[in-house]
Amino acid sequence: MKAIQAEGLAKTFRVKQKEKGMKGSIQSVFHPKTEEVRAVDGVSFSVEEGEVLAFIGPNGAGKSTTIKMLTGILYPDGGKVEVLGIDPVKKRKQLAYQIGTVFGQKEQLWTHLTPYDNFKFFAAIYDIPEREADARIRELGETFALGAFINTPVRNLSLGQRIRCEIVASLIHRPSVLFLDEPTIGLDPVVKENIRQLIKQMNKEFHTTIFLTSHDIGDIEKLCKRIIIVNAGRIVLDDSMQNLKYHYLNKKIVEMKLQEETTLAPMQGIAVLKEKGCHVKLEVDTTKMRINDALAHIDAEHVEDINISNVPLENIIMEIYKSEKGADGGLA
Amino acid sequence: MRKYAVIYRSVLMENMQYVMNIFMGFISYFMFIFVFIHLWNYMYSSPGELISGYTREQMIWYTMITEMMWFGAGSGTVSRQAAKDIRSGNIAYLMNKPYHYTLYILAKHAGEWSIQLPMYAVLATVMGITMVGSLPDFHAITLLAVIPCIILGITINAVFKLCISLISFWIEDSNPFQWLYDKLLLIVGTIFPIEIFPAQMQPFLKLTPIYTVCYGPAKLIVDFDMGKCVEILVVQIIYLAAGCSLMFFIYGKGGKKLYVNGG
Repeated sequence: MKAIQAEGLAKTFRVKQKEKGMKGSIQSVFHPKTEEVRAVDGVSFSVEEGEVLAFIGPNGAGKSTTIKMLTGILYPDGGKVEVLGIDPVKKRKQLAYQIGTVFGQKEQLWTHLTPYDNFKFFAAIYDIPEREADARIRELGETFALGAFINTPVRNLSLGQRIRCEIVASLIHRPSVLFLDEPTIGLDPVVKENIRQLIKQMNKEFHTTIFLTSHDIGDIEKLCKRIIIVNAGRIVLDDSMQNLKYHYLNKKIVEMKLQEETTLAPMQGIAVLKEKGCHVKLEVDTTKMRINDALAHIDAEHVEDINISNVPLENIIMEIYKSEKGADGGLA
Repeated sequence: MRKYAVIYRSVLMENMQYVMNIFMGFISYFMFIFVFIHLWNYMYSSPGELISGYTREQMIWYTMITEMMWFGAGSGTVSRQAAKDIRSGNIAYLMNKPYHYTLYILAKHAGEWSIQLPMYAVLATVMGITMVGSLPDFHAITLLAVIPCIILGITINAVFKLCISLISFWIEDSNPFQWLYDKLLLIVGTIFPIEIFPAQMQPFLKLTPIYTVCYGPAKLIVDFDMGKCVEILVVQIIYLAAGCSLMFFIYGKGGKKLYVNGG
């Protein structure tokens, strides 16, 4: 069954425009000008139950606007959307019982209360009986290792501890779909990894569908099996992570330390990225040249040290962003 | 309704940590009432004199009670906070929960005033008894009828203030409207009872929220009358129903116009 189904989803905002300076300010009083910005422009996709999907794009691509339409916060101007078979526009409240949201940049917890009191609060909001709420708090508290700070006011928690609590608060009603909007923003690498593990575990244990937006490639690489890239309100790529790597990772980075300074003869399929003394960095396009042929061309006998790696996923995604026109002017 | 009771309880728990802040507000209240006690002492030149049907004690107690409600139920939640939520887009993160945003705000507001108001009530009582003297013909039993009027009055005021905040869905800043509403309420009904104003204005003023928000409850304390109490309660229920309908209508329309920019 499909957890999320969006067809031709569109949203346009009217944005105020003002000429610069005082003259512009006075003009805007008498002749206010607005400009229409198409934040989401006919987006169609579906997400299977239990899937972990990365929904990414540069700033202003329309990611958050899409999430807000999927959760019923914003009304789409066009298209159709269903989450768990529910129309978010018509039945936002009903849908709220089935979904959870974590916005990394926004706090939903009451900062002066302890995590425990917060969880009890959210349990009551979602009409969960007292006894069941206590059992869930215990269960999630163990999974997310909250024991040491469950009775400390949220304002005194570290960012990593707070994010863990935010996720637990979003899971207290056992949502079938969890929307995570930059859940690891501002966290150190260790805590990031911890959060990723917990998200993975949650998906495995509770079969929760996860809709993730993040600028952190690590989140995407480690959590998601499918990726949707949006730019200027449109989907520019919808593929599995495996396919993305297979199709786009056809370039290898070869870093070498040679025995003596050499100038490499130009050759199709090999691009010299950096050359400094005995150190050379090349990019080999494996669709044009096999990696073995490239090494033969270099004359491997003179190589003192060599490292062959894939092009970082970050670079691939940046390339996809750049290849699409109109990256500017959208709304997030 | 359980979830709104939980919101109320959570705010109560949160605000209990800031009880000391309320004491700071006592200074303003004390100064305000101190000035009015002297003003009315000057206006009432001879003992037993009546101004617009109020004795000196009734007039000062009237101001103390309306100001007690003003200070005790004063909170930025229904005005500044709600308007800010809309303008900043923060409302988006509150709307996706299974409660009604407007009732969530009202429950939060109730959690705030239910700590503040009793504290101001104690201060008003102490100040009144020591500086003015007890109210003639006052019977504590009448409070049983008056307290529901006070709660309804505060709730009606919060509903109307929230309605004004919800205009932020359409306009940049609803504060000027809040200011107008507050000043109208302060001058007509809080500082002076309606009877002070010209007779031609009084029927009109009795149709405004002023009658139900501050005048009604305070009038019942200083000069209780069962008939008047029933009349005020009926008008309050009508006002509350009309105010809530307006509030749900504005929110319903405004929610569709929500503009949330940025991730």
